[in-house]
Amino acid sequence: MKKFKKILCGGLVAAILSYIGLFLVFFFDLDGKFLYYVVGPFLIKHYDNMPRKDMTKSEYAMDAFPKYEYAQEEAR
Amino acid sequence: MKKDIKKKLKDFWYGKPHKERRLGDLYIDKTGLYKHREWRGVKDTFYYFHMIWLYNYANLVVDVMKNGGLFVFAKGVWRYRWVGQTYITVMHWFDRGHEGMRGEALRATAWHYRAMTNETIRQFMRMFRADTKLNKGKQNEIYKKTMSHDETVCGAIFYPWRDKIDNVALQMIPYFVTCHVNCQTVLNYIDAVQSIGLPADPCPMCQAEAGIYVLDDYPDYSPAFVASNEACDGSVGTGILQDWFMNKPYFSMPQPMQFDDPLVHKHTMAEIEEAWKFIEEHMGIPFDWDQYVKYTEKFNKLTEFEWEKWDVAANTPYYPINGVAQALYRIYYSQDGYRDIWAQTDEKVRKIMHRCVENKIETFPETRHRLLAWSCAPLYYSFWTTWAYNCWGLNTVMNMDSLMFDMVLRTDTYENALDDLARYHEWAPMRRMAVGGYKHVFELWEYMKRFNCDMVMMYDQLACKGMQGIHGMFEDEFRERNIHAIWMPHALPESRTVSRAEIRRIINDYMFTVMQEEPLDPSLLDFDDSLSW
Amino acid sequence: MRDLKHLIYFDNLLQEANNELVRQAKEDGKIIAGYTCYHMPEVLLDLPGCVGVRLRAPLCTSPDIATYYMSGRTCHYGRSLLERALEGGYNFLDVQFATETCTVTTRFQEHLQMMDVIDNPVFFCEFTDVPFKKTANSIDHYKRQLEGHVLKPLSEKFGIDTSDKALLAAIEEHNEVCRLVTEIGDYRKLENPTITGYEFSIIMLVTLVCPKYLILPKLRETAKEMKTRKPDAKPNFRCKVLLAGSENDDPDFIKLIESCGALVVADRFCYGSIPGREEIEIKEGESPIEAIARHYLETGHCPRFMGQNEMRERKKYLADVAKEYNADGIIVESNKFCEYWSYERTIDSIVLPRDFGYPVCSIEKEYINTASGQLRTRFQAFVESIEIKHIQEGK
Repeated sequence: MKKFKKILCGGLVAAILSYIGLFLVFFFDLDGKFLYYVVGPFLIKHYDNMPRKDMTKSEYAMDAFPKYEYAQEEAR
Repeated sequence: MKKDIKKKLKDFWYGKPHKERRLGDLYIDKTGLYKHREWRGVKDTFYYFHMIWLYNYANLVVDVMKNGGLFVFAKGVWRYRWVGQTYITVMHWFDRGHEGMRGEALRATAWHYRAMTNETIRQFMRMFRADTKLNKGKQNEIYKKTMSHDETVCGAIFYPWRDKIDNVALQMIPYFVTCHVNCQTVLNYIDAVQSIGLPADPCPMCQAEAGIYVLDDYPDYSPAFVASNEACDGSVGTGILQDWFMNKPYFSMPQPMQFDDPLVHKHTMAEIEEAWKFIEEHMGIPFDWDQYVKYTEKFNKLTEFEWEKWDVAANTPYYPINGVAQALYRIYYSQDGYRDIWAQTDEKVRKIMHRCVENKIETFPETRHRLLAWSCAPLYYSFWTTWAYNCWGLNTVMNMDSLMFDMVLRTDTYENALDDLARYHEWAPMRRMAVGGYKHVFELWEYMKRFNCDMVMMYDQLACKGMQGIHGMFEDEFRERNIHAIWMPHALPESRTVSRAEIRRIINDYMFTVMQEEPLDPSLLDFDDSLSW
Repeated sequence: MRDLKHLIYFDNLLQEANNELVRQAKEDGKIIAGYTCYHMPEVLLDLPGCVGVRLRAPLCTSPDIATYYMSGRTCHYGRSLLERALEGGYNFLDVQFATETCTVTTRFQEHLQMMDVIDNPVFFCEFTDVPFKKTANSIDHYKRQLEGHVLKPLSEKFGIDTSDKALLAAIEEHNEVCRLVTEIGDYRKLENPTITGYEFSIIMLVTLVCPKYLILPKLRETAKEMKTRKPDAKPNFRCKVLLAGSENDDPDFIKLIESCGALVVADRFCYGSIPGREEIEIKEGESPIEAIARHYLETGHCPRFMGQNEMRERKKYLADVAKEYNADGIIVESNKFCEYWSYERTIDSIVLPRDFGYPVCSIEKEYINTASGQLRTRFQAFVESIEIKHIQEGK
């Protein structure tokens, strides 16, 4: 019973502390600051340095696709 | 002293009154980040903390889990700039749109944001699950059951297959949504397309859409594509590059330009029927009339509620949705088509709005002027409406894009359904008014009357040939009708052409010099957010 | 080469929209119908009793009032037309047959509808919707549009005979003009052409802006003259080029290219002859109006056509034309702010050299090119690059 109470109290304290912590993160825009100064630059660096296909080398076949034409009598 | 403490306690409990607060002091220079988030009083601060910040952060994870899981999401984030660079800024997008808001308006507006976020996640996760680029080049079952299309082809076209396949607009998330959430992302794509020789003067929206291809940053998630010419010459031009880079069956379903002409309408109907045949041919699934009826009728309910909202917005001061949420939500769902999230959101908003009307709650009590925003809005600064209300009491009641699909679609017979769907398709964003003929663009005067507006925010999209081509006539009409109109220059997604600060300066100048008014919150007059999302 | 007998006369006709032949037609009691785009079939505007004039705004360098109305960020051509209209330069028009084919000309024509610009009490402006594809549905739609928005108003408002018989007569006259222009234009295919691009563009333009029945005699004479025209013994060009792109009704622009050593042997641009001077053929079972609708959609190669096969085929078409006219390279131009050609030019400048082996010079221009120095440098460099290519190929 005592142990259970202890766990319960511990859980409660942890929950309260987490709640306060989250509120501080929220109120001081710590999420925004972390994402702006840490995650953002990391991702941008990654995207800037990604090897990318040269799309201007893509094939451009003149007759690859037919004329999509459907007679009106075929329509519902 | 006692008075001071009482006042401080009051401010703590209720938040500072509009005219006393200094929201501009909260910004960290250049970044748009907050030194601390706004204290809105106990009730609203904790509502924001619980029901907006925590709830939406949690749902950013939950929605991903429900739509394919974290692994698929992580692969997508690692591969595509537009999702990675934008996803991290979502909560800040909420913050910017909700600055200064209180009570029921805060709640109703936030539900709109939540719905848009949810639908965005559903769409990009569907893209990622089907994407051959994320699946080692394999065309999986989801790929075979996903139809891609231009963002300006309305979702209703695909209702007949809704139970068997899903449709995802190609540019809606990679381009359109990202511009609003993080205005920096799209600049990479504009630069990319110019690097292959495209001049800088075509509409930057079209440039960006083509630029995503140039950087090979679109997922490949569908066996075929349905295109449209909407909204302009630039969109048709984009199609040329799009077809090249996409290199898959590509059906063009143009919207006719002179759509008031009954002869033209018949042509649109025929084009829609041809598109349906194309979808059948490429997806191998027959057209299902019952599905069309089912989803159209559900969608009609959304339209009916939209009209109820317009009625409240037009005739009372109790409308609880701010300008940016009104604009984005409306254009998003009417283009996207019916999804459950829209109906669920409308139910929540309906309750809030009814409460406001019944209890006569003035949702934007510091309104000095009721604005109608006309023409195409700056995507990188859609939340200017929030700023304008906080700084000047300019309440943007309605905007042009919201008024486009103003109709209920009939479902009694196939002929009537097709007739209405064609009209709906013709009334697409920008086509209906901006580039669809001057008769419609000048409907502005009627809508000003209908929504009881006394000012116009006239968007001046510098690269929109349709609106630039009729600029002088608007000037003449404004003068003749003695209407206060502020011209807001911008370049749609291209935030480098006209900065947010410049937009604010133009509004400030007009309010000081022409209207001879003083700001409600002087701290918002001038601040530097040049490096913000 | 000896000067063409009527060239100066033709050139003078291009100095103003209301030229002496238009004035004469007006005196003859003809209805004068203006238009701007290839997709307003000129043959319909040349029905007996009626004369079609494709609008130009020659010498308009500073469209100030039009810039107030249409801003400085729209195509110079559209603004120049409005400026000329505001100056009273189109008061001779009885009707404007408008097409919503590109945004800025649409806006120009809407100004004519709204602003009471044309000082002529009978004047009106009627829009035709032009489809974006060449399918049967599109042709059918186009036919209905032409019947409803061209033939009907001509008949109801001006009493013009729009019967099949009258249409056949108009087609016949139109086809003769096409035959003559094509015949004259074919001399550009010779190894040492007996006509310059500049001369040809003047001849082509007069057929667009003058009453056909008044210009035909001089055209016939010119075609006859061409049969015996001898080329210069030593060619005075360094290479031959195809000029493709957006609106261009300025012969001086072609003169500028030719002064840099590139003879313009083919003209695939708005106001050019490729396409534009193909004869209208009436197939079995077709009515004249059906044939006209089909003809103008099938021959059109504007980048606004968005059928997938059409988008792709027009690159091949360009290469085929270059081959047919023995061009060494292609100059692709687009007017500043022309969105269709901005995109088409981008892909042309990548795909044509890569897949068809044609060097491409891609340029942006204004309606009236007053600042020619930069363009001259570009063209000179292009000519040199073609010459170097020839040397490398051992030609």
